[in-house]
Amino acid sequence: MPDNWAYVMAAYAVAALAVGAYWRHLAARARALRERPAQTRRRRTA
Amino acid sequence: MKPDRLTTLLGGLAALGLVVGLAAAFGYAPREAVQGNVQRIMYVHVPAVLTAYLAILMVLVGSVGYLVTRRAGWDHVAGAAGELGVLFTAITIASGSIWGRPTWGTWWTWDARLTSTAVLLLVYAGYVLLRGVLADEPDRRARFSAVVGILGAVNVPIVHFSVKWWRALHQPSTILGPEPSPIAPPIAMALLVNWIAFTLLFAYLLTRRVEIARLEDAV
Repeated sequence: MPDNWAYVMAAYAVAALAVGAYWRHLAARARALRERPAQTRRRRTA
Repeated sequence: MKPDRLTTLLGGLAALGLVVGLAAAFGYAPREAVQGNVQRIMYVHVPAVLTAYLAILMVLVGSVGYLVTRRAGWDHVAGAAGELGVLFTAITIASGSIWGRPTWGTWWTWDARLTSTAVLLLVYAGYVLLRGVLADEPDRRARFSAVVGILGAVNVPIVHFSVKWWRALHQPSTILGPEPSPIAPPIAMALLVNWIAFTLLFAYLLTRRVEIARLEDAV
């Protein structure tokens, strides 16, 4: 059977993209939650 | 250990594990005699499905824990594990589909294993959606999603034993089966390394998501 390297690379790339996208989603959510109290405080003092 | 330090430690171990796993999959494991190099997809596909099983087990534990104790911490674990169950089941299906094209000649077939795995993905995607819809009502979200999470976990043995119960194109279980594994030792070793790496990645993402759930409840 031919080696089909393109399929191997595609499978690893899809897995990496899925994990990377979820990791970025978590990082963005954590950043938004940490910044929210600071924004609220700034609004209160303005 | 503080949660931040634990998450950082797990993140570092997961990154190291994934690098070692790639080296094992492409450097240490030999070219498979029948399928050739395309068999290397197995080092993503099998650890992904085992991690999905682990995630759903955590949903089950967290859901039962919540219904018994009514503590939000159990609900946080279940919710985080549900998202990871969707992620790793999706990776399983995508990598299996890509592997199926050169070996079976098709991206998809309504085989018992593939169909039951797709049902598993849909059930937990629904679980995540339900939690999103009830985000403003934490108690109802926790109760309803715990019931869905427990009922959905019934799918895992169906997925696993589907290749035994029905005639399937998918090969039978070779590592969680009753007989000793027929896999050659270097291939089994590369698989084990990647399984450990995926488990560390799961632990890292789970702790990170649970921390976020705590922050969401505090805001």
